[in-house]
Amino acid sequence: MDLDDEIPTLVEHSNDRVPLTIICGFLGAGKSTLLKRILTERHGYRIAVIMNEFGDTADIEAKTINVSSPDDPTAEASEEFLELANGCLCCSIKDVGIAAIEKLMQRKGAFDYILLETTGLADPGPIASMFWQNEEFASGVGKDIVLDGVVCVVDACFGQKQIEEDATYDEIGESIRQIAGSDVILLNKIDLVEPVEAAHLESAIRQINPAAPLHKTVRGQLDVGSIVNIEAYSTRPKFPVHGHDHNAIRAGHDHSEQSHYELRGISSLQVTCPTLGQEKMDKLDAWIRSVLWENQLPEGTQSSELQVLRCKGLVITDAGDQYVLQGVRSMYDMSLVGEEVVGVPEQGKLVFIGKGLDLVVRKSLEDIVNS
Amino acid sequence: MSDLQQARHSRLLLLRSGMLQDWIGPINWKTHKIIHTLAAAKDAAGDAVEDGSYNPFPNYEYTGSMRPMYPLSAKRKVPDHIPRPEYADDGKPMAEVRAAGQPPKILSKEEQDKMRTVCRLAREVLDLAASHVKPGVTTDELDEIVHNACIERNAYPSPLNYRNFPKSVCTSINEVICHGIPDRRKLKNGDIINIDVTLYYNGYHGDLNETYAVGEIDEDAKKLIRTTRECLDEAIKLCKPGALFRDLGKIIEPIARSNGCAVVRSYTGHGINDFFHCSPNIPHYAKNKAVGTMKAGMVFTIEPMINSGHNWGDVHWPDNWTATTVDGKKSAQFEDTLLITETGVEVLTAGKKRDL
Repeated sequence: MDLDDEIPTLVEHSNDRVPLTIICGFLGAGKSTLLKRILTERHGYRIAVIMNEFGDTADIEAKTINVSSPDDPTAEASEEFLELANGCLCCSIKDVGIAAIEKLMQRKGAFDYILLETTGLADPGPIASMFWQNEEFASGVGKDIVLDGVVCVVDACFGQKQIEEDATYDEIGESIRQIAGSDVILLNKIDLVEPVEAAHLESAIRQINPAAPLHKTVRGQLDVGSIVNIEAYSTRPKFPVHGHDHNAIRAGHDHSEQSHYELRGISSLQVTCPTLGQEKMDKLDAWIRSVLWENQLPEGTQSSELQVLRCKGLVITDAGDQYVLQGVRSMYDMSLVGEEVVGVPEQGKLVFIGKGLDLVVRKSLEDIVNS
Repeated sequence: MSDLQQARHSRLLLLRSGMLQDWIGPINWKTHKIIHTLAAAKDAAGDAVEDGSYNPFPNYEYTGSMRPMYPLSAKRKVPDHIPRPEYADDGKPMAEVRAAGQPPKILSKEEQDKMRTVCRLAREVLDLAASHVKPGVTTDELDEIVHNACIERNAYPSPLNYRNFPKSVCTSINEVICHGIPDRRKLKNGDIINIDVTLYYNGYHGDLNETYAVGEIDEDAKKLIRTTRECLDEAIKLCKPGALFRDLGKIIEPIARSNGCAVVRSYTGHGINDFFHCSPNIPHYAKNKAVGTMKAGMVFTIEPMINSGHNWGDVHWPDNWTATTVDGKKSAQFEDTLLITETGVEVLTAGKKRDL
């Protein structure tokens, strides 16, 4: 057999997808414990865990990959280094990392799931958008990597402090960006804090991100199904139907009780959306382009610069078509939902999480969808 | 030259561990090298390749009939008086990498003039190289022509040492989609060849390419070239302030499809100015999430790579540059550098219309 690593392996073509979940979280919050547990648990999946450790040099970036075995989880997890010629996952040389994973799957056969751990300091947004974009030209393995979602592990003991200290560094702070950009949040080490403290922190998290399900965990123990296959970036309209709306409404509408997190600039904006005609759809799309791409309202009346970290939504048209909005940072997609979907709500809903999303922005959006 | 993010797809090594050995067997790099050397020698002698040329990757499963013909010529020198881009010495475009993710730059009138100049020079160099395309000419000879023509114009050939690209121009023949490295292969009657020229002059880059017939080519190849040119021309027509980058692919892909062709996805158009490659990123396929609106003063390329048949995929030779179709079918490309003006678009690399 040839030793060059370029020989294409014959793989049967299938529509299978390999969901990739990004795990972010504060330093010491318990990411490693969580991942270690997943790697050794008897869950029957082949899960690749990729540790993304940023060095100081931009030239060579080594990544460690651990793969759990479905048959013998207690066996020492095989460990792999992907050595990339250039850069790291977070900077411009993005596709190298994805290509490395694709090549790995090409050689080894696809994984069932991929978990990518970022360092405590990384904003998950750029990596998420990179994997999301890669879906457009994923290649080579028959099983394509699709971005499943972003999970954030928050330390129940020190989370509050970390958020507050971190936010003083720059205008937003990485820990707040992590919470804002996540699709699932684990409040870990919950056994080590008083319930009232936990509730306080949970409320702070909800102010930043009302849309993500929150799980309270002890040593990262939870059903692995809560963090893989969550389809947070799917074009299926499952998002608006999950069960945290009471929190969402509180965070979204209670403007009299602005917390200092909102004052620092990060908040969420939720708007329900009646059925829209084509003209309003076009206006809504123009509004989203302006806010996500130009960081301003179409009419330019925002009081400070806008920055959306994550958006989601479901829009229903007069003609009965349903569009799912997905967005991370400036990249977004408004996809027509296929017909097979059942149980779609009658009303659409839009959620934006980011900076500068104040009452002026709300009114601007509501004027379009409600006028 | 297209955005190189994807070119780096294959540029990585897997190292260490028992797991790797499970997959591809034990690696002994010393032996590996010896095998390579032996194979190369055998190929050179056994295949009766004239004048000592050899295929450096004899065990690679090529998708078509194109082969690299090494050795490459010696690295060409650029005289000291010609200003060099940041990567000229170590191959690393560090400032370009750092600038990634920034919104597209709006060029001042003065910068726009510099772009006009370098793009005009790049057009001259491409046309000169194209005039030498005929059976029997090697791509290395084309490289020499391009290299010398750049120097005569006091310009640096931008591809040279960009991320360690070894030559001054990209020459992509038949199933090679892009980034072919000029070598000892002679052009043959019936080939199609893309020549991708970029110059760096007075601090700015100008980038264009065209695909040419070598001698007489068959009808399918002609149709492919015409289709690709049409894809570019129709996409350019869309360009003006307020147009969306994501819509370009919606023009290009239907044209390709209706002509029985596929649009390459993993290479894109790109912003170009004092950086060789920068934002915006411009996909040529229809369903894309490209960010951004065109504004007066932006400069970028559109450079659709169109494959015969329905396969949009690409694979790379072990040189980590040469991208080919996965099925060995031909691929063509055209590229222009464009300036968005207050009223529309200016094709900075425009040339005389030629019959395709």
